[in-house]
Amino acid sequence: MSSIYRFLIILLPLLVFIFYGKVLLTDRSDSSNYMQPKNLPQFELLDLNNQEIDIAAFDELSLLNVWASWCITCLVEHPYLTQLSEKEINLIGLNYKDSQENALKWLGKRGNPYTFSIFDPRGDLAFDLGVTGAPETFLILNQQVIGHIQGELNQEKWQSTFVPLIQAAKEASK
Amino acid sequence: MIGEIAHFLSIASVMILTLVLIINIIFSFSSGHSNQLILSYKLFNQACFLIFLSFGIYIYLAITDDFSISYIANHSNSQLPIFYKITSIWSAHEGSMFLWIVFLTLWSILFVNYLSFEHPLKKGTMLMLTLIILGFLLFLLVTSNPFERILPFGVIEGADINPVLQDPALAIHPPLLYLGYVGFVISFSFITAYLFSGNLSYPWEKDIKNWSFVAWIFLTVGITLGSWWAYYELGWGGYWFWDPVENVALMPWLAATAFMHSLFASSKSNVLKAWTLFLGILIFALSLFGAFIVRSGIIDSVHSFANDPQRGLYLLGFSGFITFISLGIFAYRLPSMQSSKLIVTGSKESFLSMNNILMLTAIFSIFLGVTYPLILESLNGEKVSIGSPYYNTIFSPLILLTSIFIMISVEALWQRGMQAKTLFFAVAPTFLLAALALYLIWYFVEIFSLLAYVGIYSGLLIIISYFLKAALTIKNNSYLNKGSFVAHIGLGLLFFSVSMNSILSYQKNINLFPGDQQFINESIEEFNFLDLQNIKASNHDIVLAKILILQNGNSIYLNPEKRKYFARGQITSETAIHATPLKDTYLTIGDQLENGSWTFSLQINYFVKWIWFSSALMVLGILMTIFKKKIR
Amino acid sequence: MKASILVCCAFLIASSMVFSDVVYKFENTIQEKRFYSLISEIRCPKCTSGSIASSDVPVSRDLKRRVYEQILSGSSDQEIKDYVTERFGASSDYKPAFEGANYFLWFGPFIFLGLLMLIFLLSRRL
Repeated sequence: MSSIYRFLIILLPLLVFIFYGKVLLTDRSDSSNYMQPKNLPQFELLDLNNQEIDIAAFDELSLLNVWASWCITCLVEHPYLTQLSEKEINLIGLNYKDSQENALKWLGKRGNPYTFSIFDPRGDLAFDLGVTGAPETFLILNQQVIGHIQGELNQEKWQSTFVPLIQAAKEASK
Repeated sequence: MIGEIAHFLSIASVMILTLVLIINIIFSFSSGHSNQLILSYKLFNQACFLIFLSFGIYIYLAITDDFSISYIANHSNSQLPIFYKITSIWSAHEGSMFLWIVFLTLWSILFVNYLSFEHPLKKGTMLMLTLIILGFLLFLLVTSNPFERILPFGVIEGADINPVLQDPALAIHPPLLYLGYVGFVISFSFITAYLFSGNLSYPWEKDIKNWSFVAWIFLTVGITLGSWWAYYELGWGGYWFWDPVENVALMPWLAATAFMHSLFASSKSNVLKAWTLFLGILIFALSLFGAFIVRSGIIDSVHSFANDPQRGLYLLGFSGFITFISLGIFAYRLPSMQSSKLIVTGSKESFLSMNNILMLTAIFSIFLGVTYPLILESLNGEKVSIGSPYYNTIFSPLILLTSIFIMISVEALWQRGMQAKTLFFAVAPTFLLAALALYLIWYFVEIFSLLAYVGIYSGLLIIISYFLKAALTIKNNSYLNKGSFVAHIGLGLLFFSVSMNSILSYQKNINLFPGDQQFINESIEEFNFLDLQNIKASNHDIVLAKILILQNGNSIYLNPEKRKYFARGQITSETAIHATPLKDTYLTIGDQLENGSWTFSLQINYFVKWIWFSSALMVLGILMTIFKKKIR
Repeated sequence: MKASILVCCAFLIASSMVFSDVVYKFENTIQEKRFYSLISEIRCPKCTSGSIASSDVPVSRDLKRRVYEQILSGSSDQEIKDYVTERFGASSDYKPAFEGANYFLWFGPFIFLGLLMLIFLLSRRL
């Protein structure tokens, strides 16, 4: 009987140490790779030019980028977003907790990579999407949210997080 | 230059400790070398003194604002009072690790020299301690060097430390906590030496009993101080958040409490020897695990120091190495430890055994709560958060069980079972009285919460059973262990106060203009916003609200503040508390709204003083136990 | 008065997002208690750890406001928690769901206790 105890006394702590060692060594930053697709929340917002928004804009593969004129990191990702918008990706902005005036000024000054930007001064749509701050970016297809990146979007995150999701979506639609 | 001297002293200590190890390895294959032993002990003491000297110089460097040292530049500032210059040393990873090692060394040098030269376990204990100190010192110097310089000229002024850290209670919380944490290295090393020696009939419990009790006291005080600080400083009215870093301090505490109890069974009745030894090893192993969790950044916590996998791996590896030396020899010796005596069900030993089981379950629950999110995440990427709803639900029945067993154990005898009649008369009155008290509480309070009521009932069971026992003792003029009495009343009071606090306390969000007043409820008839002041202090701006509260006919003046510190632009809130034995009136300023009015958060927190008092009682009880023998 | 408003503005800007500031006025104390209890069980999505009760970041303020509105509109505690976890993930609830793999979490300690007691009783150490 005691030999079982001796075995367990060594084995169980050993498993604990090995487990923690493994956790320490794995890079957990890209753990949010897969998410359950969820429907794009309904909203009644206008865009920055006070135009109504056609929800069909979210049928095709789109990026919804949360940005604001007060957001400093958004400046950092802006060049990359401009790059992306020049490819085939439909880039839509979500102007988050901002003033219309400041937002338009910002776009005028830095350049507007967005097809259009939803004006969300109270952050209602952002809240329903689970946004915790700016910048964040969502990957959308057929009016469903299939990907989410927090923090600034760059080549690395695009490659590791969104590209696989895009591939998977393309496979599924075949 | 002076920094280099301190640095060199630490390195020298490493070399000397290594020398101690080498000498003993070389000479361990032959026997009877008392010269080698004398030399080893001398070298050990010298190595310890070098560490003290090195740290002493480091304190000097901090006081004299040596901002060419990177750590001091990052965590201190010439405008800080001297007290906070010193305490800034342990405000972050490198410095606090240094302090940890200093205390490790302090306990070690005291205990090793306390053991007489002829003591059979002196050498083994010293060697184990040498190994542990060496490992941590190397960790410090290699991965977390507090002596690193900013070259070539240093900086002119240090960064201001987080204003939240400029607080006396928070400043002494780490030293006290560490003294407790590392104090159990003594039992760890001594037990390991004992197991290696093979002479299992040596009465080892005697030698480390009081050392363990003292370490337990430091750990209890350290944890309580952290809780107390969180309560009055953070402004949320909470005192325990089941944050991972709090949890890893609680686990060694539970193991230590179990260990202290198990020591009695082991030394008095020669049973549960293996369990007691295991617990003695477990405490420090859990402390090591705690240091790893806090300093590796593996778990998100507001407390955690560093986020460095390299450091984490070293700590994990070294902790594992040390733990497995002990566990290994423990497992090896286990067959020889079976005591011939079995435990009589219903005896005091039986209850001590049950106590071990319950404490271990509590430790397991916390460990599960800390580890489960990591397990789930590594299995399927799912993220889960575990907080007070989980721990409260799990601990509620455990506490009830514990209280019932404590209550019955008061009447238990050593090595003999209890008769059903004794059991019944011991237990029934307490159950009934506690139920009556609970009913009265419900009648007056009119609030119900299952988990809280379980907690209240548990506390009442313990308190009432011990008071009944005391009454009987006075009547029969028999023996009552006074230290145990005080400590357990403290525990019962803790369960009681925590639970009462959770159901009675409430919070109100108030909004009004300066000069206004408001009616709050039947006991808080008036909330007067007398005045708002703007004050400039040396390193911060203050917005001060002068409030007068009319509570149950009493006038209470409270002046909560909001501060903005220049150095980092940080905003902190200073809570205003009016404390009475029964409840605290607790006020913080919120924000100013667009219309110019201000919001306040008013909390009435009940039984808070009792929580701190119950901790003090537990410590007092242990102190009485330590000094009991001396009085005789 | 003007000067103090200026100083106060300094605080305001730092704690910005004025839209989120709301005064919590409840219809009765039960609602009030539910509110303070709920916000202590919802995790702040942006902080390293801690509930929205102990956090003042914008998203915490938004969450508190939503919880407040939901309580007033009659949602139950569970409905409110579902509302939050739907948007911010299951990890925003400090009470792990009682389902699936989490059974190990909830029952684990008691299984552990039962096992130990059994072992002890059988080996006559209890």
